[in-house]
Amino acid sequence: MNTPMYIIAMHIQGKILPETYEAVSFAQDLGSGQKTIIVLGSGSQLSSMANELSENTGIDVVAIKAQYLNLYNAESYKKIIKGIIGHGRSACICMPHVSMGYDLAPGLAVDLDAACITGIEAISPDASFTRSMFGGKIRVQTRPLDGPVVLTVLPGAWKGFDNAPLASGSVDILSVDEPPLTTRTLEIKASTPKDMGFSDAEVIVSAGRGIGSAENLLHIEDLAALFPRSAVGATRGVCDLGWLGYKHQIGVTGNTVAPGVYIACGISGAVQHLSGMRHSGLIIAINTDAHASIFRIATYCIVEDVNTFIPILLEEYKGQS
Amino acid sequence: MPYHVYMKSHVARGVRILVCVKQVLDSAETVSIDETATDETATWIRFEPGTVFRMNRFDEFAVQEALRIRESIPGSVIDALSLGPDRVKKTILKALEMGADNGVHIPVETKKYILPYMRASMIAEYAQNRHYDLILTGIMAEDDMECQVGQLLAGILGLPYATSVIYQDIEANKGTIYVEKEIEEGRRECMDIDLPALITVQSGINTPGYPSLSNVLRARGQQIEVMEPSRCADRMDREVITGVSYPSAGVSGTFIDGSPQEKANALLDILHKNAVL
Repeated sequence: MNTPMYIIAMHIQGKILPETYEAVSFAQDLGSGQKTIIVLGSGSQLSSMANELSENTGIDVVAIKAQYLNLYNAESYKKIIKGIIGHGRSACICMPHVSMGYDLAPGLAVDLDAACITGIEAISPDASFTRSMFGGKIRVQTRPLDGPVVLTVLPGAWKGFDNAPLASGSVDILSVDEPPLTTRTLEIKASTPKDMGFSDAEVIVSAGRGIGSAENLLHIEDLAALFPRSAVGATRGVCDLGWLGYKHQIGVTGNTVAPGVYIACGISGAVQHLSGMRHSGLIIAINTDAHASIFRIATYCIVEDVNTFIPILLEEYKGQS
Repeated sequence: MPYHVYMKSHVARGVRILVCVKQVLDSAETVSIDETATDETATWIRFEPGTVFRMNRFDEFAVQEALRIRESIPGSVIDALSLGPDRVKKTILKALEMGADNGVHIPVETKKYILPYMRASMIAEYAQNRHYDLILTGIMAEDDMECQVGQLLAGILGLPYATSVIYQDIEANKGTIYVEKEIEEGRRECMDIDLPALITVQSGINTPGYPSLSNVLRARGQQIEVMEPSRCADRMDREVITGVSYPSAGVSGTFIDGSPQEKANALLDILHKNAVL
């Protein structure tokens, strides 16, 4: 693909999200087209983010500056990005599949008359994009037709961009005026205090719907208690059922973790969950379904019912010590 | 009169809500690729007779949120819409049983996967001149997990939108809706949006209730409005499906075999070797 490529940098509170660099890696893999990183923001934060992006990637950066851009807003992002790219021009716009990315991409695609493909996990040789459907049971290859295309890249599917560039890219900072908007971003509320100990945990034991009921969380907690530095995680499905609070959630919009050992209990392995834990050191999966997607990324696979297997495991552990 | 100007004067009488609900394959079902298709672009999933379908869970939250709004603003009306083959009427019925006022079916008979842009175009065609104050749908469909139809629909209709909404407070007489969106690591992005607007709802915004007996009985006797097949049918898609496959059979990891006790001991060995025990 040698059409011009634009990577939209995503950031929260002055920090570039690491997934932005994964989108840069994706764009590098995709083709040789002229690349530009676009970053929107305000004040000195914007300049330092623009410099960081150009130094880390060697790619030219266009930075758009205005006070009202201190917070993300799809409406203003759409207007500005359309202004930079131009309507109807062939272009490839890449961004990470984080909350701002999937919020923006389809809306931007409508404004640019572009194709929109979300949650991309791989690129195939015929320039099709691979994405998962049906909780990872099916892979679909899809190819945009001629014209502009907006793509979101599944977090964790590409490594962050870490080839130190020979030289920084150029940085262009442009100021814009605030247009009238029908959506106004007011503030970012910090998450309610939570310390699940995910960052300190050597071992995270996580529960999926496959554990069957809230009562069975006892097994998960018992297993976690075996390790001196451990934490209990969960899939969104488990949180939706009210079995555990959302602060336990691992995956897209939840926590992203990479402990030394991750034990997935009764987790089928939907991509939304995998993207939050796939960089764990050792992944052990316990699931009754030998075809569960989780087994495709696990280091060790155990086909058992967690509710009977964990008590046996604890019993054997007692016997050993 | 521009759409949003018309709406502003309209809102005080209760809000007109459209909820878009999708029928999806139950997640416990096996997914089989239709190997009989010859045209590669038509290759999609084969549904055996007796396959279990149900309402996309994220859309259940959207229906429930619509009910909450109607409760707080008397005179509000909820239309529940779904598109697809005849079987999706069951999902529309479910929305009526939950408490929606009217059901709308856009019939689409195809064995192909309906791409998000096509889906959004067909819904837009229906919604265009019907003056909804608020359109609600789930953040994504559980089956294709695209996270697209809501935003595309808003884009086509020229409406402002917010995705992943975990809290809303509609202020109909001000003509605005305040929303909190769930973003990374449990943070919330707070926005004020002019009506008419579209919001996609994140799971956990409410607790979908069980249909009451009176709603079930009312729904049973109710007509579902069936639209003419969409004129969008020949609209060009912007992408083409080039392949559908099962994930590669190759598993990178090692299956631990043996009796449960043997597996347990093997696992304990691994944990010891990795010095976490």
